[in-house]
Amino acid sequence: MHIQIRPILAALRRHKAGTLLIALQIALTLAIVCNALFIIHQRLANLSAASGVDEANVFVIANMWADLDRSTEQVDAQVRADLLALRQLPAVRNATPASGYPLRGGGWDNFVTMTPEQVKPTTDAAVYTGDEHFLDTLGLKLVAGRNFRPDEVMVMGTQQAITPPTAIVSQALADRLFPDGNALGKSFYAMGTAPSTIVGIVDPLHRQGVDQWSNGYAGQALIWPLRADDERGIYYIVRAKPGQLADAMREAPKALYAQNRLRIIDPVDGIQDYATIRHKVYDRDRGMAILMSVISVVLLAITAAGIVGLTSFWVGQRRKQIGVRRALGARQRDILAYFLTENFLISATGVVLGAVLAVAFNLWTVTRFEMSHMSMAYVGIGVVALLLLGQGAVLAPALRASRVSPVEATRSV
Amino acid sequence: MLKMTHLSKVYRTEVVETYALRDFNIDVKEGEFVAVTGPSGSGKTTFLTIAGLLETFSGGEYHLDGIEVSNLNDNARSKIRNEKIGFIFQAFNLIPDLNVFDNIEVPLRYRGMKAAERKQRIMDSLERVGLASRAKHYPAELSGGQQQRVAIARALAGSPRLLLADEPTGNLDTQMARGVMELLEDIHREGATIVMVTHDPELAARAQRNVHIIDGQVVDLSEDPRFHTVHVAEEAHG
Repeated sequence: MHIQIRPILAALRRHKAGTLLIALQIALTLAIVCNALFIIHQRLANLSAASGVDEANVFVIANMWADLDRSTEQVDAQVRADLLALRQLPAVRNATPASGYPLRGGGWDNFVTMTPEQVKPTTDAAVYTGDEHFLDTLGLKLVAGRNFRPDEVMVMGTQQAITPPTAIVSQALADRLFPDGNALGKSFYAMGTAPSTIVGIVDPLHRQGVDQWSNGYAGQALIWPLRADDERGIYYIVRAKPGQLADAMREAPKALYAQNRLRIIDPVDGIQDYATIRHKVYDRDRGMAILMSVISVVLLAITAAGIVGLTSFWVGQRRKQIGVRRALGARQRDILAYFLTENFLISATGVVLGAVLAVAFNLWTVTRFEMSHMSMAYVGIGVVALLLLGQGAVLAPALRASRVSPVEATRSV
Repeated sequence: MLKMTHLSKVYRTEVVETYALRDFNIDVKEGEFVAVTGPSGSGKTTFLTIAGLLETFSGGEYHLDGIEVSNLNDNARSKIRNEKIGFIFQAFNLIPDLNVFDNIEVPLRYRGMKAAERKQRIMDSLERVGLASRAKHYPAELSGGQQQRVAIARALAGSPRLLLADEPTGNLDTQMARGVMELLEDIHREGATIVMVTHDPELAARAQRNVHIIDGQVVDLSEDPRFHTVHVAEEAHG
């Protein structure tokens, strides 16, 4: 096969418009597809992010109080009675009160500082509240220290701000606050001037939010021993015994209503298992991944169609020329090689330009939308994919060209 | 050099068989300049395309430079076209996107020739046709006569054993045609074997030997007084 790069380039210079349009289309496709791939990969990675929760057995009840005029003491008494009722259910292993739960989609976050005077926060952490049953109910793995003692659990009424003297933190938060290790027994400030001392470390524990901006802090969370007895409502997190999730989810609201009917548990989404919670919270990620995939496929298809169209047009336009080349001694594979090489040269120009555009576009999203830096592997994959797509798209018209008979040279147009 | 024996070419459709060449016999010796003449549709071009291995034939034998070509595959036929045959077409058939130099280089590249030798041959052949100064020009920048000279240079550059010319002056005015014809005569004098298809009797007369084709068969003009009558009648009407 005789590859003729110089004459092909010379010929392409005489067809600047078509060549540039296809090269530009390839460049834009590469730039968009690389970034789309990156976003898809990120979003798909989110879908499988570890929450730390025993998701197969845990469910959450959103309990709204119907009588809003009760004191904090009254609410707390009801909460304790509810928890007792829930824990006594045969299908239930444990239950805890909570102000939020991992993958809820948003919730209580605090800046964390090392000293009370510190103006610029050291970092940011999701705040969970619960009693001494919180760890076991969620199935969190205690990797250092101890669980809360019952006597450490404090009661926090509506719009009260209490900083408990003890806290359990996630490993990620411990590492962030105390990079040298030994976080146990150390204190931090997360709400005002009172310190909280770390008595235990769990790993992992995902924060409530899954927003793109918080990905860097996704594993930073702290747990305070608090029953947050808000007069409006409370979450009960319940862990069923293995294999009894459905029974527990069915029995739990009955037990609560039996305790007190003056409450609202939404029949649709008042009780959610973790499969539902995870599915809902990553809905946008999944949607974005699907959207990006569709855009990528459509763009690649349009680019492939463009290459097929232009090459087919050129083959039609050059039938006589192909015949002449064949008459002058070109073999079928020489003609095939000519069109493949021609496409490769156009595609190569496109992907070089596209690689630059892809990186520039990513840098723009990094500065504009606080997205992460894209690995060059995505550009590499995109370049290979576009070159293969180009060669694949040009194959059919190039094969057609190679089958043009040399006798075509003698035809008068 | 070129010998066809009982050669036939049949175009078949579902309902009809058309013989473009039938029991066609011709023998062109090395160094001959043969003009193939005949009326439109007589089979001249079919003969030329088969002679140039641009098309296959249906029956008979064809020996080119001692090689029986009927059983050759496409690659072998391409190689023979490239190495043994030089084509000169009526419409010049230069590649419009390539300059003169690159046009002449096309068959040499297919031969896998080294760049230095290619360049030498291209410049030599351009010198030969008197267009060395036009190497960087594109076909559209040249006159018809110049384009045909470039086509001749392209045919000559590969040092072919046989030059096949299809109405080489058909698209040229008289003066340019004369120049091209003189060039072909010079090339012949230097030893080339040329087979030229034409329906121009004046041009044919300048060849060493004339072969006339009617209805796909070679006719001996000296033994067919009818042709002479027809020919004179045609000239009278023209």
